[in-house]
Order: sequence, then structure tokens, then C-alpha cells
Amino acid sequence: MSAVMTLWGKHMQKLRIHPEEAFGMVIQSVLWVVLFGIGMKSLLGVTVGGGDAYMTFMVPGIVALTAMTAAVGGGLVWLTERIMGIVKEYLAAPIPRISILGGNALSIITKTLFQSIIILVLGVLIGATGNLDPLGWLGGIVLLTVYGLGFAGIALAFASKTNDPGSYHMVIFLFTLPLLFLSNALYPLESLPKWMEICARLNPTTYAVDGMRQTFMDSSVASSGGDYIALWICFVVLAAFAVICMSLAYFVFKRSIR
Amino acid sequence: MIEDIRCPICGSKTTIPTSKKGPNIGGQFHVCTRYPECKGKVAVESQNGNIVQAADFSERTYTSMAIQASGLVKRYSEEVLAVDGVDLNIEANTVYALLGPNGAGKTTTILILTTLLQPTSGSASVVGLDVVRKASDVRRRIGVTFQEMILDVELTGRQVLDYHGRFYGMKKAQRKAKISELLALVELEEAANRRVSTYSGGMKRRLELARGLMTEPEVLFLDEPTLGLDPQNRASIWDYLRNLKEQRGLTLLLTTHYMDEAEHLADRVGIIDQGHIVVEGTPRELIEQMGSDSIRIAGQGDGEKFIEEVRSLSFVQTVTTGDDLIQIGIDSGNKRLPEIVSVANNCGFVIEDISVTKPSLSDVFLKYTGRQLRDK
Repeated sequence: MSAVMTLWGKHMQKLRIHPEEAFGMVIQSVLWVVLFGIGMKSLLGVTVGGGDAYMTFMVPGIVALTAMTAAVGGGLVWLTERIMGIVKEYLAAPIPRISILGGNALSIITKTLFQSIIILVLGVLIGATGNLDPLGWLGGIVLLTVYGLGFAGIALAFASKTNDPGSYHMVIFLFTLPLLFLSNALYPLESLPKWMEICARLNPTTYAVDGMRQTFMDSSVASSGGDYIALWICFVVLAAFAVICMSLAYFVFKRSIR
Repeated sequence: MIEDIRCPICGSKTTIPTSKKGPNIGGQFHVCTRYPECKGKVAVESQNGNIVQAADFSERTYTSMAIQASGLVKRYSEEVLAVDGVDLNIEANTVYALLGPNGAGKTTTILILTTLLQPTSGSASVVGLDVVRKASDVRRRIGVTFQEMILDVELTGRQVLDYHGRFYGMKKAQRKAKISELLALVELEEAANRRVSTYSGGMKRRLELARGLMTEPEVLFLDEPTLGLDPQNRASIWDYLRNLKEQRGLTLLLTTHYMDEAEHLADRVGIIDQGHIVVEGTPRELIEQMGSDSIRIAGQGDGEKFIEEVRSLSFVQTVTTGDDLIQIGIDSGNKRLPEIVSVANNCGFVIEDISVTKPSLSDVFLKYTGRQLRDK
């Protein structure tokens, strides 16, 4: 455990040295909330009369996008350490192999939560109606953590496999936008054509977003009219997603250090 | 369990339980501690914890072996056989150099001994601990610097050492004391709070050396410690390494393809080529067998006849050839030079280049591998 914390501490230290790296990633989400959100708000404000309701509906979606981008991007730290050979220092040390993976996952989750919370707070500030129950936020943070762990797993698996930061960046793009659009993040599930709805129901992002609408947000305002996916189903689906992806990461990681 | 072993030095009979382990030695040898007159110098050899026989380890040959390897083989694929049966017996508190060209298997050997790679076959132990089965214990007791510079250049020198200590579970006060001691040793005190990215190559190597020593290892592995450094920095690294052995009783295993490095630093040298050790000894032993002087000749003509004639001369000790170079080990180069030249003339061998040198490890290398080891 101390090795996990040491690695985590080292990654946090690097983040303090290069804060622009973390903030660069937040900016993308900020633009989503501010530009897309305000644009939609004024559009819907005229037609439906529920501007704040759309903000409340949309902000969890952008939070999910932020978490996904942060988690997948967080794998770059491990990729860099692998390419630079720093991993050899860890492998030569008397620490369990799995703690290297654990330290990386922990630092990814830390960054993911940090960036997501910034977007959440920003979203509430510009019009989303937050949940007043702190328990709801606690549940939301658990959801975000599990969701982030899933993508951290994908990121670490990929970062254990490739040797090319360029193709890694490609994957970040490959993942984020389709997973955002093929979900309920920006529009209600019921309004989608059948094939898109099926895709969305297979997408963990849908469960994260629906869960966050019921926890971080005032669920009555965030509602799109249709029924929510039951909160326990969101938890179970995301937990399964996290377990599968982290197992995959462990498998690929183990092979990479042999 | 074998009972009533007669101690080969003190002669007294003793019964040694199989579970008894000698101090600091692990599974390989069991020290007779029962009879004080043996003072721990007598060992009983064992295999897998079962005592096989009492052996006479005289004072000179018996010190605990810091590194042992027998029949190490590493095959990466059908075609690539990196290490092909390496045997090593390196005593504690010695500097051992594995000398060989690139691709000879030096780095692979180091990776196996430092537990980063598993051997295809054969076995190895460091401070008496098997590198495969006791990998974690081995890691705790060794230090390593790798061939490539491996440093987090965003961190300061002090942070690099501090995180390294934390990975080994060192306490804060302990780390602090060790860091200031090592920064003084490698003369990086002034640069300690600067980012490593601002360091020169020599400074980075010195920092890596300090990092290797951070956890007070018993054995330090150095893979090409002066690769890519200018002569001045090489000399200073050599100084540090020499002092380390003297002052700390460390065992050092270093690999190098620089002849002079091995000659300067090592107590023993193992010349490694194509995956196995072709000859081993102290640098002096190895060089002395080449004769006291060495004449190197390059030329054209009937080389075979010339070599045959030269070999028959009474004062010639060795003749080796390779890479179009004939090398003659001789009692006194300057005195015998005219004679060698006249033999060449008689054989119709046209000398293009001739020089008299003191033999060096590169002559030894040529003799055993038939190739020259290029220094640069």
C-alpha cells in the first residue's frame, strides 16, 4: 500500500510541476458547458421554456465526458514512464507488481474526480439545479469513481501495450466523442431512433449520466420526462464495467512487464 | 540431515540440522558456528537446504559468495540466444567487470541477476538468495543502475532520491540523512534542488549512482556506468566506484565494453562473448599470460608461414591472429623487433604496420575471441 501511495504522490508532484496539463483538459469541458450549454439554453429557453432544466439535464453528461477524457488521458503518465524506462526503477524495487498499477489507477481517479468536480460546480453556477442532499453528492462521487476506474482500466491496458504517444492521443478522440453522442448525455433516450437507443443502452456512459442526474442534480429538474434507469442498476452496471476493464488492464500490464 | 560431519578445519565432529542457516548466507552454505575455533570459516555445502558434504573452504576461498550463477541461459526466441551458459562466482567485497562487445549478453545477464528477467534455464543467486524464487528479497538488498539513463527529469535531484527511498520503505529521517550523505559523495549538493532536466550527462550518471546506493545495497549492479560520458566524467565516476568498494565493503558487478575501465576498476574480469564467459581472472593474470610485451603486425603475404616460423622462436610466448592483425607476445619487444622483422622478410611477408605495446586486456580479448574489441 505504501508503494501505491508513493507512486500516487510522485504523480501528484508532477501534476503540480505541470498544472497546465490538467487544466488544458478541463478547458475542453468548460467550453462544452459554457458555449454549448448557453447556446442550447437560449435556444430551448425560447421554444420550451425550460432553459435551466436543460442545463440540469446536460451538465451530468458533460461531467461524464470530462471524467472519461481525464481518465483516458491519465494513462499517458504511465505510457511516458514506460517509454522513458522509469518503470524499470519500479520493477527493480521490492514492491508488489500490482501496486504499480494501483498507484497509476489512484492518480488517474484523483485527477478525474478533481476535474469532474470543477465542471459540476461550474455547471451549477451557470444554471443547473444541484441536489441539496449531500448524500446524493456522495453517491454521485462513488458513481464517478467507478465510471472513471473503468476508463482508467482501458487507458492503462492501452498504455501498457502501445509505445507511441501519438496513437494514444488518437484513442482519446476515438473514445470520447462517440461515447458521448451514443448515450443519453445530450438528449433523452426516448427521443432516439431505436438503433441509437440500443447503442446508448450498451454504453456505460448512459448509466453514469443517468445515475449522476439522480445524485448530483435535482432529479425532478434533470428529468427529460421519461423514467430514470434505477439507481442500483447504474451502480451494478458501472461496477461490472470497472471490474472488467481493470482486469483487462492487469492482464495486459502483467504481460508488458515480463 | 547428515549427522557427525567432521569439520575440515578443527577436526571436531558436529551435527548440523538442515534448517540451520549461516549468517548472511542463505541457502547455499552452512557455516559451522558450533565450534568457535572455526570462527565461521568452515562451511558445509548444501543443496536445497539438504546438507550434502562438508567441504574444506580454506580462508582464502571461503568468503560468502555475493553472486553465483550456474549455466544461465536466456533465449528470447528461436534465433536469439542472448546468454548461453554463464557461470559466475563473485566473492563479496570485490569489483567484478563483465567485459565484452555490444550484444555479448552483458545486459541480459544483469537483468537476470537483478530479477527483472527470468532465465530460460540455469540458476543464479545474489547474497545467497535465488533470483527467481526469492526475487523480492534480492531486490531489497541490491542496487542497480541501468545502461540507459532512467531519471524523472521533471523532478529535482533530491526528489529523485527521496522517492526512491520511499519505494523501499525508508523512513523520513533515514531518507533525509542518506540523501545528504550521498549528495556529498557524488558532489551534487549545489544542484540538488534543481530539476534533473538541467543536469549534464555526468551529473545525471552521478545522481543515478547515488540512487543505486540510496538503500544501502550489499551488491551494486552497474550496466555500462560510463557509457556516453566524456573522459573527465568517466574518471570521476571511476573514483567514486573505487572508493565505494574500499569504504563500504560493497560488491560491484559492472559491465563495460571499455578495456581501460575494466583494467582500472576491476579486481576480476570476465570476458564475455556470444553469450558465454570465455576467460576469467584478475586483469594482471589475464594480461601477464600474453607475455611481457606485445608486437602487433599488419601486413600482406604468406601470413601462415610467417606465424609458423614465429611460433617456433624460443622467446615467443603467444601468437594470436584476428581481424588481419597478428599479435605476438614476447619477453622484450624492443630487443626482439629486428628478429621478427627479419623472419617476416624471409617468409615473404610484407609488413605494413608494426608496433610494440604493453599487452592490455584488448590483446586478451583478441586472443580469446579472435576479434578486436573496439574501444570507441
